[in-house]
Formats: sequence, C-alpha cells, structure tokens
Amino acid sequence: MTARVLVAMSGGVDSSVAAALLVDQGYDVIGVTMRLFCYGDKVPDRPCCSLDSIVDAASVAEHLGIPHYTLDFKDRFNRDVIDNFVQEYALGRTPIPCVRCNSLTKFKDLVAHADTLDCDYVATGHYAISRDGSLFRGRDADKDQTYFLWGIDRSVVERMLTPIGELTKQQTRDLARSLGLVTAEKPESVEICFVPDDDYVSVLEQRLPPESPALTPGPIVTSDGSVIGGHDGYARYTIGQRRGLPGGSTDPIYVLAIRPETREVVVGPARHLFRHSVRLAELNWLAPALSPGESCLVQIRYRSRALPALINEGSALHIGQISLNLSEPARAITPGQSGVLYDEQGRLLGGGIID
Amino acid sequence: MKRQVYLDNAATTRVRPEVRDAVIPFLSGDHYGNPSSSHRPGRNVRAAVEEARRRIASAIGTAPTSIVFTSGGTEADNLAVIGGVSAATTEGKPPHVAVSAVEHKAVLDSAKAVERGGGKKTVVDVDRNGAVILEGVDAAISDGATLVSVMWVNNETGTVQDVPEVAARCRQAGVSFHTDAVQAIGKVPCSLVELPDAMLSISGHKIGAPKGIGALVLPAGQTVDPLIHGGGQQAGVRPGTENVIGIVALGVAVELAVAELTGTANRTDRMRCDLESRILAAIPDAQINGADGSRAPHISNISFPSTRSDALTMHLDLADVYCSTGSACNTGVATPSHVLSAMGVPDELATAAIRFSFSCDSDDEDVDRVMAVLPNIVKRLRDQHGGS
Repeated sequence: MTARVLVAMSGGVDSSVAAALLVDQGYDVIGVTMRLFCYGDKVPDRPCCSLDSIVDAASVAEHLGIPHYTLDFKDRFNRDVIDNFVQEYALGRTPIPCVRCNSLTKFKDLVAHADTLDCDYVATGHYAISRDGSLFRGRDADKDQTYFLWGIDRSVVERMLTPIGELTKQQTRDLARSLGLVTAEKPESVEICFVPDDDYVSVLEQRLPPESPALTPGPIVTSDGSVIGGHDGYARYTIGQRRGLPGGSTDPIYVLAIRPETREVVVGPARHLFRHSVRLAELNWLAPALSPGESCLVQIRYRSRALPALINEGSALHIGQISLNLSEPARAITPGQSGVLYDEQGRLLGGGIID
Repeated sequence: MKRQVYLDNAATTRVRPEVRDAVIPFLSGDHYGNPSSSHRPGRNVRAAVEEARRRIASAIGTAPTSIVFTSGGTEADNLAVIGGVSAATTEGKPPHVAVSAVEHKAVLDSAKAVERGGGKKTVVDVDRNGAVILEGVDAAISDGATLVSVMWVNNETGTVQDVPEVAARCRQAGVSFHTDAVQAIGKVPCSLVELPDAMLSISGHKIGAPKGIGALVLPAGQTVDPLIHGGGQQAGVRPGTENVIGIVALGVAVELAVAELTGTANRTDRMRCDLESRILAAIPDAQINGADGSRAPHISNISFPSTRSDALTMHLDLADVYCSTGSACNTGVATPSHVLSAMGVPDELATAAIRFSFSCDSDDEDVDRVMAVLPNIVKRLRDQHGGS
C-alpha cells in the first residue's frame, strides 16, 4: 500500500514544489490549504495565505493530479495565534506568531486532519530536514526555518516530510519553473500573514481597547530612572529599537527594556543591550532533554548566529524553564522571541520563549 | 480506473447528449448571427431563440413572452426579488419582501439587499421537515409584504413546499409571488397553468444544460425593474446580446426534463429509497433530514452522528464517491447549514450531514458503491472522533 501524505499547501512556491516532489516520489498525496483568518478588505493579497493563494494552491494540486481541500481553521488560529500575539504585545513582549502557528495549527490541528484522512505523513514546504525522528537545519542557510519549529510535538517529527529541505531557494524556484507551476514566480512572503503592510500596531489597535496601557502614553526613561521623553504606547517598541526615540544625546540610544506595569520604555546606550545569559520558558524538547552543565548552541533571533552556551545549574527544567550562560554576549535579547537550541550538526534540540 | 460515482446532481449535472447535439450548429460557424439583427443570419438565430422560448413555455405551462433568459438561477432570483420589490415600490407599495428561512442564498441575500436599501425583510419559519409554515406567510402578508418568495424544492433537503397554496394566498391578497424552482423542474410536477401570476426561476445546469444559463418566468402584469442596463433586448428587463448557445441548450433541457419527469422521478425515488434503507440498516443512528415531510425524489440529506460533513465528503471523494455537504456554496465553511438549522436540526447533527442527489444518469451500481465504502468511513471517523 502506497504511503499517504497530507501536504500543507499555502499557495506559495515552496509548498507547491514540496507537493510536486512528493508526487514524483510516488506517495499518495493529498493537498490541503488552511484558511487561517478572515480575508477582509484590510489584508491585501499576499504571496501566501490570501484567498487568491487558496486558488493558486488548488490550481497546483489540479496540475499535479492530486486532491485538494480547504480546511477552515479561522477560529482556532484566531484563538491560538492572533489572540496570543496581541496579548504578548500588551505584556510588553515581542511575539513570533509563526512559532505558535507551527506548534498549534500546522503540526497539531493539521495533523489531526491527517489522521482523519488516514495519512501516514504530514509534509510542508519548510526549509528544514526531517530525518530519523529529528529535525535538522535546511540546506539553504539563508532560508533555514527550524528556528520557527522548536515548539512542535516531538511525536510528530517522525511523521514529518520536508521535501525541499535539501534544496536552496533558487533550486526550488527553478524546479517550480521547470514543472510549470503557476506559483513559480510568486514573490517571497516575509511578513506576518495576518498583519497588513507589516503594520502590527494596526492589528493591536483593532483588537485592544483604546484605553489599553500598551497603546496609551507613558514615559521614556533611562536606566537610572530619569524621564527623557514620552511615547504613545509601549507596544510600539521592541528591545534594541532605535527609531522613535528622542534625540539630543551624544551617543545613539536604544530600547533596553519595556516595563508594562509602569508603562516605561527604558532606553540607554548600545553597550547596555548586551547580555551574557538568557532564560527560556515553555521549554519543548525535540531530542533527549539536556541537563545542567551540558552545552549546546542557542539562537535568540531568526536572523542571528547561534552562540555556544552552557545550561546553568539554576535551570528549573521540571517547570519547563532553562537558563543558559552564553560564551559571548548577545545583543538585544528580547522577551517573547524564541531561544532555539541546536547541536553542532545543526540538529534542532528544542527551544523556549525568552523570558 | 475505479468507477466514479457522481451523486451530486443537485450541485450540477452532466450536459445531456441531446443538448450537446442541439447546440453544435451554433458552435460550428453556421449559426452565428446576432438575434437582434434584421438580416438573414440574425433572423436565423432569432428563430432558434424563440423556438427555445416556446419549448420552455410549453413545458411549464406559461406564455413564451413571459420567459426572460438570465445567466442562471441566481440572477433569476435576484431579478425577481430585487427587481420585483423595486418595481412595486415605484407603484407606491412598501418595499417589503417575505422569504422562507430555507431559501437558497440567492434569494436570502437578495432579500438582505432589499433590507440594506432601506426596505423590510420578513423571514418565514419552517417546521421540522422544512415545510414553510403557512400562517407565517399570512402574517407577512398582513404585515404588508409586497412580494413573497418561497422555493418549490429545497436544494439541500429536497423538501417540497406547498407552492400552489402559498401562491393562492398571495394572489388573494394581491401580493406578488416568486418561486425558485431550480431544483423542481424535471423533478416534481410544476406547471404554471394553475399559477398564472407566479414568477419562477429556472437553472439550466441542474437539468443537463451547461452552466451559465437560466430563466425567470415573468407573467404578464408582473413588472420587475432591470438589474442591468443596456440595449433593450428582452424588453429591457434583461438586456445584453442573448446567450444563444445557452438558450438553445435550456430549451432542449427543460423540454426533456419535463417530458421525462415521471420516469426519472420513479427511478431516482427507487434508488434514493434503496440508499436510505441500506444506510439505515448499516448505520442505525443515521438521521434522514426532512424524512417525514414531502420530498422531491432526487435528494437525500443524511446526518451521521459523531462525524463531520467535511471529513465524510473528503473520504468519499478519495473513494471516488462524489457528494456534498448540503449546498456546494457552503463547502469549506464549518458553520451548520442555515436550512438544517431552520428545521431545528441541532448543530452537532447539522455539521455531520451530507447530501446525495440523483439524476437520470444514476444507477443501482452507484448505490452499491456508496454502500461498499460509506459504513467503513463512518466507523473510522467515529473511532477517531474527539481526536480533532
């Protein structure tokens, strides 16, 4: 019996090629597109996730001769991803909705549908490599997406297929062209799918009450507590940000911290942005859990190098928290972002939310 | 290649060979004229359009001049409801439309458009079998409704409404009446001889004509304001150069559907009864929605407790059995059908319902194929139920 695989098709080039490769490899492939939010007038067409993209995904599936279904995940996505995104900003943190989408929507809700449809595997167009029950960084270092995948359930990994993980973006696009896929020339999606024009504040303004502290004025202070200006809501700021701060000081100043309880945005010179340790919560392991004293690599932003780190004796692993001592200071460690753990071979060990 | 079982004929049908043969001359270059032209090629095509009009009129018992061709059932419904209320308003009547709760979205949303335009919309309830409550129609008329729209056969459940009775009450009160007969033509007798004042919507692709053609029967004395404007064709009610191929197809399709009604109805009724009794034997807690009411012979709407409509239809699709979750327009949306909800079907059953619909092309082997796969699919989904 041919193994059956459910492939999540966003309507972008990556998942289109993923589906094509699976068909070529002889799997019994079923394509699905998740409808994640309501496509009102406010969200313009996107390379993925728009109504047009559902049409594109369906066209590719028809071209490949595979069934395609649209699954309605609006309510769940709204609850699990968008609500959390808003709450995190309200708490003065900087969330990554793609992490929760992977953990809860793609690799949990979608896997439930894969079970319903008797699928042995679940596939996506992620630049990551699933091998022997582990996930490894994608071959294309510029495109590697394992940073967003640390939160998925470990049991799902052995059912994951990552057909384009060994390809570069250029190879993916070339394949799409040679296969005549309608999505071959679609531009890259780099923004958050439900945030129009990269303007996350407009999403917060729609979903938070106008009197929410996160969107109302507060003081800009230095580390020693002196007020040097004001702001229109701390949710407009993130750690390491320079834009939108008062000028006049000799050295450039940056956001060092956000204190939602006092609405203070704390600023200071660049050198104060560096830290030697990072604490992670909501820990999830995709490999045997590490213990205090063991070392690994930790990546604290999507676009940054993973740094050697040592698990601190003070870690509270039993409640899903871990402290890491970094081998070199890291700039702008931002609560709400992910701290993702790897080994030297690029194997994804797990991760957590920066506290 | 596995046998493909198409039991979604309420969504659309194959083009009938007789229909295809009739339109080929209009695709092959011989009959290309504009029916509005006075020269020979135009007259030649005009004759075919008028011939189609006569065929349709004769099949349903109305005058050829009352047939207005449209792009389909949806446009016919819009023209009747929105155009009808608009014309009545011009005559000084209140902009008030009454529709049943189980109408197709083409009627329901047209009524909403009337409401958005400052008019009034009354929704008339149905009983648990989906039949319109006649006292509700009376109440709407007393409340000043100018136009009442009640469908002849429901597209999701097959429920047949007492259209002659509703039409009679409207006639007595001097209120305009429209019926969406898209699922009724060729399925149940629906002659307009006794209903000379009724507006009636027809769709071609439900009866073996191509998609994109329909008609509104607009009896003499009933006026509607046009929704689109143009060159004055079809007395200005629905201008635009006629869809000649569609019109020729519709003429043949309606004529055949009505002529073959008794045979088709007997055949589909027998297959449907067979399917339902075998499903109930294999899956005793299955529930046939609207079963105790008057039903057209070609539609069966069945809930399978502890399953989900979308999962059922996907599994059936993968087994090459094609049916749908109620109305095709609702696919992909996890909300219960407004029709089942209006009948009081609880959400957990309404979201576990699928529709099988037969045509003259269906046969007993189709039923056998459904029974070969459906019980296992239902069992598997129930084993997994709660997992998602």
